[in-house]
Amino acid sequence: MALIEAKNLTKVYKRFEKEPGLWGSVKSLFHRRLVEKEAVSGFDLTVERGEFVGLIGPNGAGKTTLIKMLTGIIPPTSGALSVLGFTPNKLQNELKRQYAVVMGQKSQLMFDLTPADTFLLFKRMYEIPDDEYRHSLALLTDLFGAGAYLNMQVRTLSLGERMKMELVTALLHDPKVLFLDEPTIGLDAPAQRQIRAFLKEVNTRRGTTILLTSHYMEDVRSLCPRSVVVGGGRKVYDGGTEALFDAYQTHKKVTVQFEGETAFTAPDACALLEQSPHKAVFTIPKERSGAILEQIMREHSLSDISIEEEDIGVVVEKIYRQETGARL
Amino acid sequence: MKKNLKFILLLIKYKLSHMMMFRLSFFGVFFADGTVFLVQLLAFEAIYSRVDSIGGWSRGQMIIFVGTFSIINALNMLIYFFGIVDIPGKIKRGDLDQYLTKPFSPLLRLTFESVNPGSLPLVAASVLIVCYGVSVTGTVVSVSLGLAYAALVLLMTLLWYDMELILRTIPFLVISVNGIMQLEELLIELNFKIPGVLYKGMSKAIFYFILPYGIMSTVPTQLLSGALTLPGLAQALGVVVVFTVFALCFWRFGLRHYQSASS
Repeated sequence: MALIEAKNLTKVYKRFEKEPGLWGSVKSLFHRRLVEKEAVSGFDLTVERGEFVGLIGPNGAGKTTLIKMLTGIIPPTSGALSVLGFTPNKLQNELKRQYAVVMGQKSQLMFDLTPADTFLLFKRMYEIPDDEYRHSLALLTDLFGAGAYLNMQVRTLSLGERMKMELVTALLHDPKVLFLDEPTIGLDAPAQRQIRAFLKEVNTRRGTTILLTSHYMEDVRSLCPRSVVVGGGRKVYDGGTEALFDAYQTHKKVTVQFEGETAFTAPDACALLEQSPHKAVFTIPKERSGAILEQIMREHSLSDISIEEEDIGVVVEKIYRQETGARL
Repeated sequence: MKKNLKFILLLIKYKLSHMMMFRLSFFGVFFADGTVFLVQLLAFEAIYSRVDSIGGWSRGQMIIFVGTFSIINALNMLIYFFGIVDIPGKIKRGDLDQYLTKPFSPLLRLTFESVNPGSLPLVAASVLIVCYGVSVTGTVVSVSLGLAYAALVLLMTLLWYDMELILRTIPFLVISVNGIMQLEELLIELNFKIPGVLYKGMSKAIFYFILPYGIMSTVPTQLLSGALTLPGLAQALGVVVVFTVFALCFWRFGLRHYQSASS
């Protein structure tokens, strides 16, 4: 049986609209026009034990709403949902003991105390036996090399150190499923790399099923063999991550800085995004990138060049367009 | 039950540890609560020093009444007030997410995670006022009467908790309850000064059964001064049971309507 099973999951939020200005505020006192917003719509998802699944999508796509329904924080408006055989929104402790959730923008650490204090609180909350707790803590802090700041006040830790402690806290009770909502948001590249290595190790060593949402391509690409792309609350892709990027990440974004003022014309098949006498930003087809860059370097004197993967939002838009013929 | 108690004790320990991280704040809280108490005492002294009887109540009964309200208020601040006062904010900011995903009752955790030991001296001083009131009335307090009074004070503290919880659960359903919170403050202040025996007719129905602030200090005072009838006691116990059951059901209902906040 699958660990997570969602069928036709839908979440509709109701919010009210107010006309601008004081008169609009006065009118809203007596009459409010409610508008329905479908944050998640007809979503099917099956996750098997030990999988590492990436949930990808632009802001407002419905990723966080999905995670909140899977963890029972909010109830779905309709559809069927089972996590480890439980209905999450019944908020049963038997289920909560088997999963953990880390939200990049919401801390579960006690800010004025030390991480070790939070760990002890969680030990009691999850009723972790002494031996298991010591073993788990040693393993996790060792993986992160984070022993040095266990006894420091949380508020004095850097963002990266805090996120490491968040993950240790979440994994102390060895959950079967780990939900991660933007765990690397705002972190610098070395901290992101450390967290990725840690998560990979946890997934491999402990067999923890992990569901990850992230804006960073690199998170999903290096960690998740399977990706689920969400756009406008709907599932627009569910399959292999490499296949996804091969199929849809068809262009690279190139930024070149010229040594002097240059009248630059983008080569064929390139799309110019931004241009000034000293700089140009354009996209080039991935399969022709080598030849085109060689040509540009031959024709112009460059002081700098940077090449980036296509933005995650662009990839999602392409899939969405292909699926529905519409724009996001 | 045992596990819950152990966890509650741990929460209290953490709150104390947290307070001790800030030494000035830790000692300052005793000073602040003590000052509030003194101000209240002086206000009551000014109001009641020249009055011998209000609504048939003797000066001794009035002193017990004031002391009892002060005990209930101090217990409220000592145990749960600072934990549940921010429930509306937590609902609005989506901070309840962290409580709902942990295998421990969110309500118990919210209730006991912010105990305020600064109110302990206030509890002790309020007990002294009640003792003084008892000596003024000349009542002989047996052990069983003392225990019954203590039990009734705890039940009325529970009733105060129920009221605070009910009002702070409303934000699950509406966006802002600032007006209701202000009304709550006014009603508490009013009932801190006026014994429930003064209410008649509609106002009695309101302050005994709908917003039962009127019975909180009145009923224990009546018990201690020998003025409480059996129907009066049964009525008060009934109000506590009904409000406790309603508060818990309303909280569960609210949780089912929690929508978190966008990230």
